[in-house]
Amino acid sequence: MSLEELQQLQVIMYTVMAGILVVLLYSYIIYLYRSEKKGEKDFEKYSSLVLDDELDSKLLDENLKASNDKKE
Amino acid sequence: MFHWLEKNPFFFAVGVFVVIAYAGLIEILPNFVDKARPVKGLKPYTVLELAGKEVYKKDNCIACHSQLIRPFKSETDRYGQYSLSGEYAYDRPFLWGSKRTGPDLHRIGNYRTSDWHANHMWNPKDLVPDSIMPAYKHQFTNAADLETAYAEAVTVKTVFNTPYDDGIKPGKEAYEARLKSKIIPEALKVAKATKREDLIKAVKSGKVPEVVALIAYLNKLK
Amino acid sequence: MQSNASLEYDYTVAKWFTWTAVIFGIVGMTIGVLIASQLAFPDLNYLLGEYGTFSRLRPLHTNVVIYGFTLSGVWASFYYSAPRVLKVSMGESKVVNGIGKLHFFLYLIAAASMVLSLGMGITANKEYAQMEWPLDILIVVIWVLWGVAMFGLIGLRREKTLYISLWYYIACFLGVAMLYLFNNMEVPTMLFSGGVGAWYHSVSMYAGTNDALIQWWWGHNAVAFVFTVPIIAIIYYFLPKESGQAIYSYKLSLAAFWGLMFVYLWAGAHHLIWSTVPDWMQTMGSVFSVVLILPSWGSAINMLLTMKGEWNQLTENPLIKFMVLASTFYMLSTLEGPIQAVKSVNAIAHFTDWIPGHVHDGVLGWVAFMIFAALMHMAPRVFKREIYSKSLLESQFWIQTIGVVLYFTSMWIAGITQGMMWRAVDEYGNLVYSFIDTVSVLHPYYAIRALGGLLYLIGVFMFAWNFFKTATAGRRLEQEPRYRSPMA
Repeated sequence: MSLEELQQLQVIMYTVMAGILVVLLYSYIIYLYRSEKKGEKDFEKYSSLVLDDELDSKLLDENLKASNDKKE
Repeated sequence: MFHWLEKNPFFFAVGVFVVIAYAGLIEILPNFVDKARPVKGLKPYTVLELAGKEVYKKDNCIACHSQLIRPFKSETDRYGQYSLSGEYAYDRPFLWGSKRTGPDLHRIGNYRTSDWHANHMWNPKDLVPDSIMPAYKHQFTNAADLETAYAEAVTVKTVFNTPYDDGIKPGKEAYEARLKSKIIPEALKVAKATKREDLIKAVKSGKVPEVVALIAYLNKLK
Repeated sequence: MQSNASLEYDYTVAKWFTWTAVIFGIVGMTIGVLIASQLAFPDLNYLLGEYGTFSRLRPLHTNVVIYGFTLSGVWASFYYSAPRVLKVSMGESKVVNGIGKLHFFLYLIAAASMVLSLGMGITANKEYAQMEWPLDILIVVIWVLWGVAMFGLIGLRREKTLYISLWYYIACFLGVAMLYLFNNMEVPTMLFSGGVGAWYHSVSMYAGTNDALIQWWWGHNAVAFVFTVPIIAIIYYFLPKESGQAIYSYKLSLAAFWGLMFVYLWAGAHHLIWSTVPDWMQTMGSVFSVVLILPSWGSAINMLLTMKGEWNQLTENPLIKFMVLASTFYMLSTLEGPIQAVKSVNAIAHFTDWIPGHVHDGVLGWVAFMIFAALMHMAPRVFKREIYSKSLLESQFWIQTIGVVLYFTSMWIAGITQGMMWRAVDEYGNLVYSFIDTVSVLHPYYAIRALGGLLYLIGVFMFAWNFFKTATAGRRLEQEPRYRSPMA
C-alpha cells in the first residue's frame, strides 16, 4: 500500500471512529437520563457508596458471587 | 443498553481500553511508514559523535536547549533553515527538547567553532557575561564512554540497518581496532581545533575527555 | 459470615504509602526550589559538583515528584478508599494484602534506584520516561502487581456496583500500562555488542519524528493518567466523604468520565505543533484540546456544586478549603492548556516559561493540594488519632496558595515576554534582540518564581510536621470519624 493510500485510510478511519464514538457517547448520556426518568435505574443513589462505606453498612447491590463463595 | 458498565469490571476495562487505544493506533502508526526516511546525504553519527550524544544526554542538555527550528521567519533568521523530519532519522532517542532556557542547537555546528565550545563549556560567562548556564568543568576531566557508544553503533547497525561501514562489528577486538584506527584520530582532530593543550594531551594518552566527544557531536549538528 | 461487625478495614499498605508520599514530597520539592533558584542565581549550580547542575537535577525533580510523591499519594488513597467503596477489607485476603505489600516494597526499591541512576546521569533521556531498561522492567512488574491487587479486591467485593472513583483508578491503570510499554520500547545494547560497553545502556526502538510522536503521546497522557485521572478518583471519594455531602450529580460524573477518556488521547499532538509531524494531526491536537474543556469542567463543576448549601464548611474546615481550591485550579489549568494549544498562541508560548507555569498551577494547585487533603483525611482513620493542629493546616493552606499564585503569575509574564522578544523585528525586518537579552530580562521573574516555590515548600514542611505529629502525638480517638476529620 502506498503512503498516499495509507494516509487516506488514516483520515477515513479517524472520521469513522470519531463518529461512532460521538454517537455512543451521546446515546450513553441520553440513556443515563432516560432510564432514570422511566424509573428503571437510580444513578444518584450510588453517591451513598461513599457516604456509607463501613464494612457493616447496608449493601446497595449485593455481589451474590462473593457472598456465595464465602458460604461454601 | 449500557447497564453492564457499572457492574462488570471486565467489560468496563475493555471499553476503556478500546476508547483510549484507538486514538494512538490511528494517530501514530501510519506515520511510521514515512517518517523514518533519512534526507539525502545524511550520515549516521560516528562513534565519537555518539559518545558526545551520550554526554549530551547524561548532562541532560535538553533541559534547556531544543533541537527543533520551527518554520517562522524569526526562527530561521536566528538559527538557520527550519528542521526537516528526515534530518532526525538516526536520532535514537530524539532530542528536540521542550524548553528553550538557552538557544536552539539544531544547527549550532554552522556558527560555532570547536574552541568556542571548549571555552564556553569551561565557563560560559567568559564568552557571554550574562549567561545563566552552569560551567561544565567536569567534562574536561571525565573520560567519554567510547565503549558504550561503540556498542550503540553496533546495535543500531544490526537491528535497524543503520549504514555503518564494515569496521563496526561486535566484540572487544573490533572495538580496540576501531579505537586506534578511527576514533582516537578523529578525537585528536577535534582536540587540536579546541587549541587547549590539556585536551590534546589527554587524547594523545588515549583518554578522550567528555568535552571532546561532546564538541564532535555539536559540530555534527548543522 | 454475613455479619461483618467484628471486621475492620486493614489500612497497613495505605499507611505505608502515606509516608513515602510525605518523604518524596519533601525531597522532590526541595530539589524543585533549588533548581528554580539556580535559574535566578546561577552560582547555586556548584553546590554538588557535577551532580548539582540544573540540567542534572531537573529530571530528578520531575521524576521524584511524579513517580515518588504523586504515585505514592495515589496508591495511599487507592489502598484506603477502594476497599471501602467495595466493602471488603484488605485483611480479608492474605493474597491481596500480600500483593499490596510486595507492591510497596518493590516500589521502594524502584524509587531508590531511580533517584540513584538519574543522579549518576544514567538516562534514556525521554522526558518523564528517563529510566533505563532494567528499571523499566521493574516498573512493569510493580504496575502489574497493582493491577492484580485492584482486580483481586474487585473480585472479592461485597458491593456489586463499582463506584466512580474505581472507574478512574482502573482507567489510570490501563492507560499508564499501555503508554508506558509503548514509549519505553528500547533495545539493550548488551544483546548485540558482544560484551562491549555498559550493560544498562539501550537505544530507543523509534527514531526522530516517530520517537517524538510516541514520546508526546506518552508525555501528554502521562499527565492525563497520572496527574488527572487518579486525582479525580481521589476527589470523588474524599470530597463527598469529608463534607458528608452526596455528589451533586452522579450521572454527570459518569458522562464526564467517558468524555474524558474519549477526548484526552487525541489532544496529545498539541505538544508538537509547528514541528515536523503531519499538519492535520497538529490541527486535531488543537481542536480536541479545546473540546477537552467540557469533560474537565464537567468534573470540576460537579465537585463545586457538591458543596451547594454547605459553603459554611469552607470557612470551618481547612480540608474542604484545600479540595475546593484544588477544583478551582483544575478548572484554571484545563482552560489554560487549551489556550496554549491554539496554534497562534502556541507559536509564542512553546519553549517558554509559560509551559512550566501551566504545569505548576496544575500540579501545585490541583494535584498536590488534593493529595495533601486526602492524606490528612486518612490520618485520623489510619492512625486512630485526631489531626494534630488545625491552625497549622490553615496557615499551610494560605502560604501555599500565595506560593502558587506567585509561581504561575511570574511564569506567565516571563513566558509571554520571552516569546514576544524572540520574534520581535525592527522596521527592516531584522531581529531586535539577541538571545541573551531574552534571558537577562527574565531574572526578576525567576527570582519571584523561586520565592513562590520556597513558600510552597515551607507549606510542605508544615504539612509533614503536622502529619508526623498526628501519627505520634494526636489525641487518641475511640471511634473512627464518619465524615468530617476531627482536628485540634
